[in-house]
Amino acid sequence: MKRLLVLALGNPDRGDDGLGPAVAARLRGRLPAGVALRLCAGDVLELIEEWAGVDVLLCVDASAAQGEPGRIRRLDLAADGLVPEPALASSHGFGLAEALGLARALGLAPPRIVVHAVEGCHFAAGAPLSAEVAAAVDEVAERMLAEVAGFRRPAGDAAAP
Amino acid sequence: MTTDRTTRRITVDYLARVEGEGSLDLHIEGDRVTAARLGIFEPPRFFEAFLRGRGFAETPDIVARICGICPVAYQMSAVHALENAFGVRVEGPLRALRRLLYCGEWIESHALHVVMLHAPDFLGYPDAIRMAAEHGERVRGALALKKAGNSIIRLLGGREIHPVNVRVGGFYRVPSRAELMPLAEQLGRARESAVELVRWVAGFAFPRIERDYEFVALRHPHEYPLNEGRLVSSRGLDIDIADYESEFEECQVPHSTALHSLLKRRGAYLVGPLARYALNFDRLPEGIQALAREVGLGPVCRNPFQSIVVRALEVLYACEEALAIIAAYQPPAVAAVPVEPRAATGFGCTEAPRGTLWHRYEVAADGALADARIVPPTSQNQPSIEADLEAVATPILDQPEAFIRQRCELAIRNYDPCISCSTHFLRLALHRT
Repeated sequence: MKRLLVLALGNPDRGDDGLGPAVAARLRGRLPAGVALRLCAGDVLELIEEWAGVDVLLCVDASAAQGEPGRIRRLDLAADGLVPEPALASSHGFGLAEALGLARALGLAPPRIVVHAVEGCHFAAGAPLSAEVAAAVDEVAERMLAEVAGFRRPAGDAAAP
Repeated sequence: MTTDRTTRRITVDYLARVEGEGSLDLHIEGDRVTAARLGIFEPPRFFEAFLRGRGFAETPDIVARICGICPVAYQMSAVHALENAFGVRVEGPLRALRRLLYCGEWIESHALHVVMLHAPDFLGYPDAIRMAAEHGERVRGALALKKAGNSIIRLLGGREIHPVNVRVGGFYRVPSRAELMPLAEQLGRARESAVELVRWVAGFAFPRIERDYEFVALRHPHEYPLNEGRLVSSRGLDIDIADYESEFEECQVPHSTALHSLLKRRGAYLVGPLARYALNFDRLPEGIQALAREVGLGPVCRNPFQSIVVRALEVLYACEEALAIIAAYQPPAVAAVPVEPRAATGFGCTEAPRGTLWHRYEVAADGALADARIVPPTSQNQPSIEADLEAVATPILDQPEAFIRQRCELAIRNYDPCISCSTHFLRLALHRT
C-alpha cells in the first residue's frame, strides 16, 4: 500500500490563502485510515524531513491572482515534468516550490507530487475567502478524495490518476 | 553594466538572497573606487507613524510585523522600552522566558542565513538548493536547527512567524515545565549540529581583509547580550541606552529609503555578530571560546567575511543558553506583572540577530503612544556596508567585472541585511519661490 500524505498550505486569516485549511476541514474524517493530513501555515521548510518514505504527496494551496479567481489547476510534477523553478531571491522566499526543490536535492522528495491549486484574488489580513474561491472548496476536496482513492487502489487494479 | 578604459561602473540592480529590495552601485575611476552605494529602493513603511495614537498594549504586535525573520527582536525592544517608561522591571522566570524566546530567533535566523543564504557564496553555488545536492548533511542540519528555533518561538510566541504571545509586563500565557521538556531534546540535537556547523563554515576560504571598525553592541555585567545592557563600543563609548540620541544621529542619503546612522563626531560604526562577539567574547562560555580558538578565531574578528563563523558560534551559544534556561525553569506565579501606564518616555535596546535594535516611545497619560522612533540594525550598518564595498573592491579592480560583482554581493550578504526592516519615511521638502 502506498504511503500518502495530504498537505494543506495556507493561512486561514489571510483571505484566499485560507483555501488550504478550508479544504482540509472538508477532508478531515473522510480520508482512508493511514492517509496523513498535515496543515502548514508557516515554514514549509520544516516539513521536508517528514516527506522521507512518503510515496505520494498531495498538496492543496492557493495560487497567485492571474485574472481567473476560483480556477482550479492540478499540477502533477512527475507526469507533467514540471520542476518548480527555485527562486531564492529573498530570505522570505521559501515557498512550496523551493521546499520541493530542496527536498529533491536532498533525496527526500516523494516520487509522486500532485498540487491542487485554486487561484485566489484577495489575500488581505483578516479577510474571509472570496466568493469565487469559497465556491471551489468542495470541488477541490472531492477531486482530492478521488485522487487519494486512485492512489490507494492496489497496483494493476487501475492506473493511478 | 558599462565599461570604458578609465571609468567603470558595476551595478547589481536587484540583490539576491537578502531580505528586501536593494541594489549595488560601484563607480570606479582608474585604480580607484570613487563611489560605493548600497541602494535601498524599497518603499518606506510608515511603522513609526502607524504607532502614534495606538494603545501601548498593541505595540508588541504591531512592531512584530516589521520583520518576518526577526519579529521577536522588535517585540523585545518594544516591551523593554514601554516597561522602562512605566517603571516596571520584569525579572525571574519571565525574564528567562524572554531570553529563551530570543534564543529561538537567533537560532532560526542565523541558521537560515549561514547555510541557506550565505554558505553557497563561499562554495560557488548559485543557491542552497544546488548546494544541497553535494552538502546534504549540512543543509539537513541547518533545517533541523531552524526547526528547533521555530519550535521555541511557536511554544512561547504562539506561532513561529509574527508571534502573538508577548505583552508589556511578560506574556499572555507561560508554558509548564512539561511543555518545555521536548524542546530540550530537540535543542540537544541542535547543539551538536551547531558544533558541526561552526567547524564546517570555519573551513571556508575567506578573502583576506581586515577592517578597522568601531564595534557597537550591548554589554551586560554577566551575560552575552540579548535583551539588556549598556551600549558600548570598541573606541570607548559606554552609555545608558537612554543616551543613544546624544551619541548617534541618522541622516538621509539620496540613494536609500533607509536612514543612514552615524556616530556623531566619528561616523560609520558596526553592529551585529562581529561587534557583539568582539565586545563580549569574555561573556561566552569557556567551551565556546575554546571552539572559537580551535577554528582559528581570536577574541576579535575584523574580517567581515568571517562573520559567518561568528554567526555559527552564536547559534551554538543560543542552543546552550536555551538548554540552560529550560533546565532551570520554574513557572512564574503570573504570566505578566501588572503595568500601569503613565505619561513618560521609555527606551529599549536589544540585540537582534543583525545587531542593536533601539526603540524610543513617548507615551501619553492614557497609555496611547505620542511618538515612536525605531532604529534597526541594517539602517545602522549601511555606512559600514558601503565602506566594506570600497575596501573589498579596491584590491581586485584588475579582476574581471563578474568577479568584482560577485565579491561585492558577498560583502553585502556578510551583513545578512534586512532591507525591509530598515526603510523609513523619506522626508519631503517643498521649496516654493
